[in-house]
Amino acid sequence: MSGALPPLTPPERAPSAAAASPVAASHALPSSEPAERVLRPPLRWPGYVAALLLIALLPFALKGAYWQGILVVCAMNVLLAMSLNLVIGDCGQLNLGQSAFFAIGAYVSTVLLKSHGWPFWWAVPAAILAAGALGLLLAAFAARLRGHYLGIASLGFAVIVYQVLVNWESVTQGVRGIYGIRPPPPMTLGPLGVIEFSNPAHLFYLVALIALLVYGVLDNLMRSPVGETLRSIREDEISAASLGVNPARWKAFSVGLGAAIAGLAGCFYPGFVGTLVPDAFSIVESFTMLAMVIVGGLGTRVGPVIGAVVLTFLPELLRDFGDWRLMVYGIALTLCVLFMPGGMVQAWQLVRARWARQGVH
Amino acid sequence: MPDILALVLQQTLNGVYLGCLYVLVALGLTLIYGVMNQINFAHADFVTIGAFTAFFSASRLATHVLGLPDATAYLLSIFFAMGAGALLGYLINAAVFAPLRDRGDELRPLIATIGVSVLLENGQLALFGPIPYSFDSPFTQHTLRLGKIFFSAQSLLVVVVAALAIGGLHAFMRHTYLGKALRAVSQDRETAGLMGINERYLIGLTIVIASALAGLAGALLGPVIVLTPFAGSSVIVKAFAIVIIGGFGNMEGTIIAGILVGIIEAFTVQYLGSGLIDLVVFVLLLAMLAVRPTGLIAERREENV
Repeated sequence: MSGALPPLTPPERAPSAAAASPVAASHALPSSEPAERVLRPPLRWPGYVAALLLIALLPFALKGAYWQGILVVCAMNVLLAMSLNLVIGDCGQLNLGQSAFFAIGAYVSTVLLKSHGWPFWWAVPAAILAAGALGLLLAAFAARLRGHYLGIASLGFAVIVYQVLVNWESVTQGVRGIYGIRPPPPMTLGPLGVIEFSNPAHLFYLVALIALLVYGVLDNLMRSPVGETLRSIREDEISAASLGVNPARWKAFSVGLGAAIAGLAGCFYPGFVGTLVPDAFSIVESFTMLAMVIVGGLGTRVGPVIGAVVLTFLPELLRDFGDWRLMVYGIALTLCVLFMPGGMVQAWQLVRARWARQGVH
Repeated sequence: MPDILALVLQQTLNGVYLGCLYVLVALGLTLIYGVMNQINFAHADFVTIGAFTAFFSASRLATHVLGLPDATAYLLSIFFAMGAGALLGYLINAAVFAPLRDRGDELRPLIATIGVSVLLENGQLALFGPIPYSFDSPFTQHTLRLGKIFFSAQSLLVVVVAALAIGGLHAFMRHTYLGKALRAVSQDRETAGLMGINERYLIGLTIVIASALAGLAGALLGPVIVLTPFAGSSVIVKAFAIVIIGGFGNMEGTIIAGILVGIIEAFTVQYLGSGLIDLVVFVLLLAMLAVRPTGLIAERREENV
């Protein structure tokens, strides 16, 4: 089985290996971490506990169905941004069609639910599998194409999915859309009582906890040899192949997993909105996800999460500007690429490094 | 002439006319790619802005202020649209391509232009609203007849203008000093620079020419498509498909592929229904990429390890 397993780089040596590559500088973080920190990785559970607390408290801080609805959207966007970051940020494959997998998740789960009478929690894994399988189909192209070609091919892929949704009226009801989609069924959780997902606060808890779970899985995966392998393909595909990595297989892995996560996010969208029309999954949605990933920090773990939160709430805070507020995505994306290519995460690290230097002198 | 032959000829003609519109959009993309290996995603919005410029200059300025007849006003508005495109091209080069050129990353300028595209699209949405404008060209009403084949004066105008633009571009590339320098830059930027060619100026010039073509395409497309702030994006994905099918950066390939896609589209409308156009075109694109990832005419490319 040649090329089945990634080269096992010892985790301790990973940061120096990344810093040695000249290309890494544009993606990776500045290696200002002291050596001891690298040898003994920082504890992770306090971060997760803080995130759990934040999730628990947010619906109490933001009252009213409208703002709690925004919270649900935000949690879905976090999932989507993480899924896209896995493909573009970690594996370096320009995928401009991520909205297609979001759409597949939404449509497969809804059609199984409404037309075939499946229970919601059975429809979810089916939708994830469907989105993942479609991701593998796109990966078949990704195996042979790179850069711009893959970008355009994935864009074309998203257009095909959109057109199928519009034209396959017997199943998707085309542009007329599917109406009256109910949220996930209520759950009884022992002492906590009944969780009603028609209440946006409860739906937010569900989606946010799933997002946190996905974050944890991705965080561990990307610190494992699998993460090293994906990053080696991002930095230099030919060199990675010469080290025994099978780029096609690992690209398929990242595109497929990213698609599955986007499909998972898609399962919660129709029940929250109540209706499903193909226009919710136009190409612009992919660009919005891309903006979240880039603004937060491409290829970092927390970056896309922060980007999704910022770009979900920013337009809401700019309501006074009417329709002009939608320009914020474009402005943020352009300015970020020009002046802050590492996103908010890198900007924060630069600021912190400057503070640390000033503290020493 | 038997009916079936007339039908085939009619649809081929419709296809060539559509194809010419696509070629005008796609040529700009391929020009920019040929010289600097970059994709300008905001090209779509240059097309839309060209269409809006033509609409407003034809329906407000030329007819009301200058008091010109409709036909002259429309022809004049084409030049306004080209000017608007050229200006946008100059701006995007100054703001995005020039500052990012020397940093080497292939994808960052692409992502920046996606940002510009989202920005321009939403800006137009706020300015013009989502309701389609009815942009009537005075040439659409005139129908010309050749035996059993019909075509509008507008389609004749489109084919003539496209032929003029392609011919002009070809002559510029082959027979002028600037064109020769441009081809040198697209072959090897560094060596061209060493030979005393001002590559920055030439790259800027290419983007301006490409964007003026986008404006021109917008003015010609305006009366054909539904004129909303999203008009350009509906065409641009097809233009991307054409550029890829023809081989990135290859002008001849783009022209052939554009006309081919136009003809395929015309026959899809005839035999399968207009709803399936995008589906057919993009399935063909992906099939093409699966069989021949380099397009009809391959781009010369070195692999640096």
